Amino acid sequence: MPGRQLIMTFEVTPTSHTLEAYKARGGYQTLEKALKMAPADVTKEVTASGLLGHGGAAFPVGRKWGVMKPIPGEIHYLCANADEGEPGTFKDRWILENAPHLLVESMLITSYALGVRHAFVYIRGEFDLPYRRIQGAVDEAYAAGLLGKPVFGSEFALDLVVYRGAGSYVCGEASGLITSIEGRKPYPRNRPPRLTVRGLFQKPTVINNVESLANITGIIRMGAEEFRKVGTPKSPGTQLVSISGHIAKPGVYEVEYGYPWAKFLDEDCGGMLHGAKLKCVVPGGISTKVLTRAEIEPLTLSHESVNPAGSGLGSGGMIAVAEGTCMVRFLQVLLRFYHHESCGQCTPCREGMGWMHKIIDRIVAGQGVPEDIERLYAISHANDGTTICGMGDAAGYATVGILNKYRDEFEYFIQNKRSKFDGRLECLA
Amino acid sequence: MPRLTIDGREIEAKAGQTVMEAATEHGIFIPYFCWHPKLSVPGNCRICVVGVAEKDGGEWVEIACNMPVSEGMVVFTNSEKVRARRKATMQFITLNHPVDCGICDKAGECTLQDYHYEYNGERSVSVDAKVHATKHYALSNRIVLDNERCIQCTRCVRFTREISKSNGLGLVNRADHSLVRAAEDGSFANDAYSDNVIDICPVGALLSRSFLHKARVWYLEPTASVCPGCSRGCTVNLWHRRPEWRLKAPGMQAANASVDRVTPLENPAVNGPWICNKGRDLPKLLGRARAEVAMLKGKPADLPGAIAQARSLVAAARRPVAIVSSWGSNEELAAFKAAFGTRLEAFVKADHLPEPGEVVEDSLLIRADKNPNTAGATALFGDRAPAIPKDADLVLVWGEGLDFGLIPPAAKIVYLNAWLQPENGHADVFIPTSIQTERDGHYTNFAGVTSAFSKCFAKPAGVADAETLFPALAAAGGGAP
Repeated sequence: MPGRQLIMTFEVTPTSHTLEAYKARGGYQTLEKALKMAPADVTKEVTASGLLGHGGAAFPVGRKWGVMKPIPGEIHYLCANADEGEPGTFKDRWILENAPHLLVESMLITSYALGVRHAFVYIRGEFDLPYRRIQGAVDEAYAAGLLGKPVFGSEFALDLVVYRGAGSYVCGEASGLITSIEGRKPYPRNRPPRLTVRGLFQKPTVINNVESLANITGIIRMGAEEFRKVGTPKSPGTQLVSISGHIAKPGVYEVEYGYPWAKFLDEDCGGMLHGAKLKCVVPGGISTKVLTRAEIEPLTLSHESVNPAGSGLGSGGMIAVAEGTCMVRFLQVLLRFYHHESCGQCTPCREGMGWMHKIIDRIVAGQGVPEDIERLYAISHANDGTTICGMGDAAGYATVGILNKYRDEFEYFIQNKRSKFDGRLECLA
Repeated sequence: MPRLTIDGREIEAKAGQTVMEAATEHGIFIPYFCWHPKLSVPGNCRICVVGVAEKDGGEWVEIACNMPVSEGMVVFTNSEKVRARRKATMQFITLNHPVDCGICDKAGECTLQDYHYEYNGERSVSVDAKVHATKHYALSNRIVLDNERCIQCTRCVRFTREISKSNGLGLVNRADHSLVRAAEDGSFANDAYSDNVIDICPVGALLSRSFLHKARVWYLEPTASVCPGCSRGCTVNLWHRRPEWRLKAPGMQAANASVDRVTPLENPAVNGPWICNKGRDLPKLLGRARAEVAMLKGKPADLPGAIAQARSLVAAARRPVAIVSSWGSNEELAAFKAAFGTRLEAFVKADHLPEPGEVVEDSLLIRADKNPNTAGATALFGDRAPAIPKDADLVLVWGEGLDFGLIPPAAKIVYLNAWLQPENGHADVFIPTSIQTERDGHYTNFAGVTSAFSKCFAKPAGVADAETLFPALAAAGGGAP
């Protein structure tokens, strides 16, 4: 395993997700410890840990919590964002399937810190086993008296509801998520007001990614100082990386921040499938810009190393792409996805995604015109920062990222009406 | 009171306002599609972008409709960045728009058309096929939807949620396949205010079935009027053909003197920017068959003869009673009072009662009293219910809606009415009168607010104006009205 582990610390067995097994690993002892602290001290500890959000934007969790000042008598909500929809990402799924009680305990601690008495886990509808596991864990916790009534002799009690989404990419956007919980079409909302001011049911709401929340228990257990010893000073802790694509050993890996990227791919993941060469890698979900083999060579897996390279670790959904892959078709898949998932609320994304999808379809059909490349740039640019949520930007980044690096393939395709890489990938090995 | 600068003009905004509200209030124009002063802010059209100066000299571009004002803010509505952003947004909005202005009822008063000339003005840069969607989709039996023209601003959806409260509309599907659709429970068809979505639609997506392909709007002109449908007295615009565009073909004369459509005339004191569907159907109410010939005991007569006969009946009566119309204008009611004084015992009647199936009353606009000027009439003549004494020997009935069975058989009847109705022939003297669209006047609504209506058309020959008729009926010497 690449570096030290904070979450994947136990052997996965058919029963390792149960309350019994979790308690045997020391589960819910941290909650007891947290309840003896003042809520503000819990927040202080998390802020001191420097934990960065794992949903994609790497926003400091402590700063997000700090915005929400618990007001006595006011209702506050906490939502765990388990709508893991970013293509290439399946790390939260591991937590939900194998360590659901870690999430429940973390949510109890977080709720205690933020004055929340009613929390939600918003899980994507396509998740089946993860849903059964987290719902099972919540049921177990209710039966054990950890949820629904005051715990460990304190006055703190939490209700936790697992809410299944109906399947949409924008449900993973924080404000779309809460709109979905409210029972409406998950249209993201304009800011201001921020969700920590007016969120779910118009009440202050904190929404954190499952992995971000799962780290809370560890932070409180070992203390911020110990936590900061893992990872790098600017990216403390670990990241769950879900790697897929043309890689020998795809799966979820817990990577300590600062681990060399090339080493991770070549040694931990067993190198490329059938010994193919790495063409490029999508670092963290398809909304981040692709990086070529040469670009990742000097990088380590940490925000301060990847961000200056013009990309980001995002949600940790890494996709390895082998030499011989047609990047025009790669972009086609991407844009089909964005077109399909655009909610249709605001103009640039609603029209732009469909437009880009039409252009790329036309190029792949051999009917591209030279202006198409500039048009794709222009549409991406017109979506940058103009939409209500980040989806328009994300699609633009991904498109620009691929166009910048593989423009020759697009020009070749348009000129010759066929791909530069027509062969089957399997034959390349 | 935050002070901010918009395009170099310093204005004082109210705390809590958005830049859009502050600018609009001070007469500074920022374009918008989805924003509406009476509806919530969805911020989805993205055309209202403005630039805000940053401390480092840069410019930050955001939508104005959701931007709270702050002290010392410097806003540009027409900077280079803003213009580029607007142009890109206009390209997106028109990308899948069919641009079928030639057959679109909205052409001429379409926000999209105006903004295209103002902020883009260029040919489409797309070479791809447009997204096709349903055309001429029946959203209800009153409203036709063209989904290809729709720009998904959601004004109509928000109207049914926030104003009419029917929740009758929603959006289905995602991305550029989104469609406005009515709820399956028929709540939109039963929405008594549904036609307002036609006005607030910034493009030609929502169309009135009754006005569909009736006229190009530039052939029409609006005349300010008051809806007589109930005692709310909503101010409306009656749209009819401009004199210079009158149709000259044989058989088309009726079209020149008909109200083609009714739209609200915004009036914060009475109806705001809305009216109900009954108001939209005024052409039906005002277009009923007219009585245009005076009658004596059911036999056609000329107007001066009928007036002379009526005058002598009034002069000879010992116990004359009058039933006054609650559809009369304040001027006519005053003329009646001035002409007859206390010579006639006057009662005010309700000309119209709620029809079966009609919304009787609600909390938005519709009032249970279906007459426009009950307040004006009762102010002059009291609010006693019509009770005709047994010994009455003359009853002057003004306006429709009175059961003639209530009149003692011996009493003579002088009847003034605008419509062709069976009662007309039963009166001893029948005099046809003009209707609201043929004269100027005022109505006073239930809350005491007086609104004016203006003449749209000339009255037919052989029809009298009540305002001049009453002095003629009362005058000893007589005289033509």
